[in-house]
Amino acid sequence: MAQTTYLEAIRQALDEEMARDPSVVLLGEDIGVYGGAFGATQGLLARYGWERVVDTPISETAIVGAAIGMSYTGLRPVAEMQFMDFIACCFEQLANFAAKSHYRWGAPVPIVVRGPSGGGVHAGPFHSANPEMYFVHTPGLKVVCPATAYDAKGLLKSAIRDNNPVLFFEHKFLYRRVKEDLPAEDYSVPLGQAAVRRAGRDLTIVSYAAMVQASLEAAASLADDGIEAEVLDLRTLVPLDRETILASVRKTNKLLVVHEDTRTGGMAGEIAALVCSEAFDDLDGPIVRVTAPDAPVPSAPALEEGFLPNAAGIADAARRLAQA
Amino acid sequence: MQLTLTREQQLELYYFMRLNRALEERLDRLARQGKIVGGLYSSLGQEAISVGSAYALEPGDWIAPMVRNIGSLLVRGYSAREIFTQNMGRANSPTNARDNASHLGDLSVRHVVSPISMLGDLIPVMTGVAMGARFLGQKRVAMTWIGDGGSSTGAFHEGLNFAAVQRAPLVLVLENNQWAYSTPVARQVPLRDLADRARAYGVPGAIVDGNDVLAVYRAAKQAVDQARAGHGPVLIEAKTMRMRGHAQHDPAEYVPKKMMEYWKARDPIARYERALTVGKLWSAADKKQIDARIERELDEAVEFAESSPLPGAKEAGEIESGVYCEGCHEIAPEWQRAKEELLPPKSAVAARWVVNDFGAFEEHAPRDIVMQTAAPKAAAKRAPARRTAHAKVTKSSKARKARG
Amino acid sequence: MAVNVLMPQMGESIFEGTVTKWLKKPGDKVERDEPLFEISTDKVDAEIPAPAAGVLKEIKVPEGQTVPVQTVVAIIDGTGAAEVTPAPASAAVKEEAAAAKAKGAAAPVAAKPETKAAPAAPAAAAIPSAPAAASSDGRRIHSSPLVRRLAKENNIDLAQLSGTGAGGRISKRDILAAIAAGGARAGAAGAGAAPISGGAIAVPRERIYFGRYDVAPMSVMRQKIAEHMVASKRTSPHVYSIEEADMTGIAQLRARVKDEFEKRHETKLTFMPFFLRAAVEALRAFPVVNSSVDGTNLVMHRDINLGIAVALETGLIVPVIRGADEKNFLGLQRAVNDLAERARTKKLKPEEVLDSTFSITNPGSVGGLMGLPVINQPNVAILGIGAIQKRPVVIGDAIGIRSMVYLTLSYDHRAVDGAIAHQFMIKVKTSLEKWDEEIL
Repeated sequence: MAQTTYLEAIRQALDEEMARDPSVVLLGEDIGVYGGAFGATQGLLARYGWERVVDTPISETAIVGAAIGMSYTGLRPVAEMQFMDFIACCFEQLANFAAKSHYRWGAPVPIVVRGPSGGGVHAGPFHSANPEMYFVHTPGLKVVCPATAYDAKGLLKSAIRDNNPVLFFEHKFLYRRVKEDLPAEDYSVPLGQAAVRRAGRDLTIVSYAAMVQASLEAAASLADDGIEAEVLDLRTLVPLDRETILASVRKTNKLLVVHEDTRTGGMAGEIAALVCSEAFDDLDGPIVRVTAPDAPVPSAPALEEGFLPNAAGIADAARRLAQA
Repeated sequence: MQLTLTREQQLELYYFMRLNRALEERLDRLARQGKIVGGLYSSLGQEAISVGSAYALEPGDWIAPMVRNIGSLLVRGYSAREIFTQNMGRANSPTNARDNASHLGDLSVRHVVSPISMLGDLIPVMTGVAMGARFLGQKRVAMTWIGDGGSSTGAFHEGLNFAAVQRAPLVLVLENNQWAYSTPVARQVPLRDLADRARAYGVPGAIVDGNDVLAVYRAAKQAVDQARAGHGPVLIEAKTMRMRGHAQHDPAEYVPKKMMEYWKARDPIARYERALTVGKLWSAADKKQIDARIERELDEAVEFAESSPLPGAKEAGEIESGVYCEGCHEIAPEWQRAKEELLPPKSAVAARWVVNDFGAFEEHAPRDIVMQTAAPKAAAKRAPARRTAHAKVTKSSKARKARG
Repeated sequence: MAVNVLMPQMGESIFEGTVTKWLKKPGDKVERDEPLFEISTDKVDAEIPAPAAGVLKEIKVPEGQTVPVQTVVAIIDGTGAAEVTPAPASAAVKEEAAAAKAKGAAAPVAAKPETKAAPAAPAAAAIPSAPAAASSDGRRIHSSPLVRRLAKENNIDLAQLSGTGAGGRISKRDILAAIAAGGARAGAAGAGAAPISGGAIAVPRERIYFGRYDVAPMSVMRQKIAEHMVASKRTSPHVYSIEEADMTGIAQLRARVKDEFEKRHETKLTFMPFFLRAAVEALRAFPVVNSSVDGTNLVMHRDINLGIAVALETGLIVPVIRGADEKNFLGLQRAVNDLAERARTKKLKPEEVLDSTFSITNPGSVGGLMGLPVINQPNVAILGIGAIQKRPVVIGDAIGIRSMVYLTLSYDHRAVDGAIAHQFMIKVKTSLEKWDEEIL
């Protein structure tokens, strides 16, 4: 049987959840007849009808606002951002309406806002961003970043079933490049649990989304030099699995964090602060960050290649850390 | 509910408007005693809009009040106690002292959605509420309010546009009270009648005298019935005047005195009292009884609120609780249609567009840009007072600045 | 009851207001909601109604004065229905904080308590390497938090190791190798091995957690006692002087006047004030025992403040009798009884456990023959009183039965030498044995 791609896994998750629960509805631009700009909702309109797969105007505020309103009546809407870059257009609805709703007046907002983020496809500054940190910083929202097809499906199901607003950052570079065999039966992956993708003892590499794949590549090359790197896939940024990170650092005593997002205000800083305060006496070296530089994502291929972290860069940094 | 109201219902309209006003007078007094937490916004002079429009709804319908719609909360079942504890930041307030003003809501019983401070955002959200209710087979309407100023936001446009395209059962009451904080409406919008905007969204727009509670009720009732029948959203512009400043701290000296006097003579409650008297629907004794009942209710509510605890160390210690909903709520929609309709095989459709209007030029009447050929002063004659209402720095605030 | 009238906050961006006019004067009757005063702010002038009914008792902010919002501008003497002025959250929290502070000040503290039970901060272990000796290069030892922790846990002096990490840093593999090699040496550490720099010796955890056990976390008081005791022993070289005093005379006196005393003065008559008085006289005679050490200075306290150790269920606390030399016998007895009672009922004020110059403890009260107490920093001595027991003693050339007590003085040899200590103790003994003061 052919393996399932990351994108197909997402489509399956939507399909299966819609079959399981009639209160799951989709909203977004071009998701109905067209099946979504990337094909994530292919076939769902035909199966579930016009009421459950709603093609919207170009109005991120209306898309997310209406999703919030629908969730107040007990539905579980999944809103698509055609590119996660466009989530900036509805920042207000997410940060001020959805995030504070339960805290202020006990009204849960069980919505999912999903879409493709990340670079590597030469799409330029407005179609390649990694906007997750604006929302990691906003209490009341959950943030999910799957790195594998199995997780994309399992985490999306958990996100849909969660009573909180969940932002689901898919990585467009992984859509068709990552595939694996998926179980036939229903399964979900809980939010807030990181995964050890590769066990090691000399240093810990923490990452999420596309950089997990790059980190595994780097770890393979490090092994040739006799350096055994442990690779952690965060899977969710909020809630963060602090215990797995800390346990790994206590074991290897060296930490490297890599993400495709820009450096300042990125997740690596947050993790570094956590480890310094909780496991300072287990550190045998400085905490190293490998990230994109503080600039918008450039368009030309040569520029973008220099901009994004990659396996070679991760391996270099890891080698230096291991020998320090 | 019929378009015509019984005597009891008409008296009830008075009760709610008078309660609205008296309650807000108490809030004002409490503010001057330092007991209010957060901003305080008055709906003085606009009570007929909140009360008249909310009165047209059925049980099960949804509302989302703005800060000047306490009247609608009272009509839909909120008690004076709840409004006072909310505004006084008490631990037992509807938001457990975590928010103030009218930022409260009730998903399960009274179907009230809490507003946020940013304007216009309620419109896409209530569009979603209306769509959700329809999806579940409920015959329910969502109503919310917006001001002349709030109608300038992008969220207003995106929300109403979406509601119109989806033909959502939404009634939007636009309160044109002539002022958005210190900005007169002429500076806020290029229209005299905001109801004209409805045309841009392909929805019906009505203009109503916002200070005539029965007129407001009738317009709202028609709009609500229309929306409930599936004909899509309706925009009602209620013309009125904000009789106080933007909020407690704003003396509104930028409002011309003559304008205030003009509208004082059109006070909605005084007008309605006269109408009830002339229509022989009540006696002086009836009014006295209702007024006394209101005073008693408010006395009791203020006392309750004043002796309610302020949040303390316990609440401070739980400051992060409730940021997320983890096992505290069971989300169960109220299905009023067969779920099978929404699942395969019944839900299957042919996934293709049916396009009726190819959009070509030949199919539309030609239209040119309409040039202004008349001299500008002729245009000024058409709409006098409004155009000359500028915001001014007044003497007294200047003097205050000089005093330092 | 008094009701505060506040300067209200008229808007979110307004932080102060000016009282422009008082509409009532002190002594006037005031109805609830009746206009009471007028204010002016940046944005608005307003008339402010009274928050309660009653009589205007006091105007605190006169006309023309500008104050921050929430300032009390006047007080109304309330009448009628309970006008509840709920304690603002901040006040409640402040009270709790103050109460917590009082409890925390229980143990006489010289060392600052750490908030986390973390191993001693790296600063303590940042070993200044060799002193300015010719061969040493005086370099800072580069390691890492992990390395320093392992070094401390295993009793290893980092100055003895060379590093193979980047820049010559002592790395994890270096310390692990040293531990493997020096394992035996670490085991003998307890028998006074090479002096350890800085903090306490940490025993590796597997030598504590073995077999079957239950873990009982220390209470805050226990932790503070522990810290203080370790610090005291580390600070003062403790030496001991032991004396024996014949308490027969005092015992008889006490037995004779006890009932009368207690009836007249409504307070228990114990042995303690006798000892306190004797201590005061000895401290007068030997003032160096009433001093504190600060570096190379001896701080000779002119006040004599006696710290009295009181045993509690959960630990101990040392309330202080200030100016003990200025109190008479009755004053001392009352002070002792009061402090002991309030110590046990947790009603001591924070300042009552501060500023002792000399301390006294009573192991005899629980039956101990004698004790060798730990000095209560920053004192330089502490007197321990044993149990008063009848013993056969030599009187002249005969043997008699007398009520005897062992007294011990733990003293800090930086300030007090043996000769002084022994003379001090003899003075105490003599005062007790030759008691002639009327105490009734």
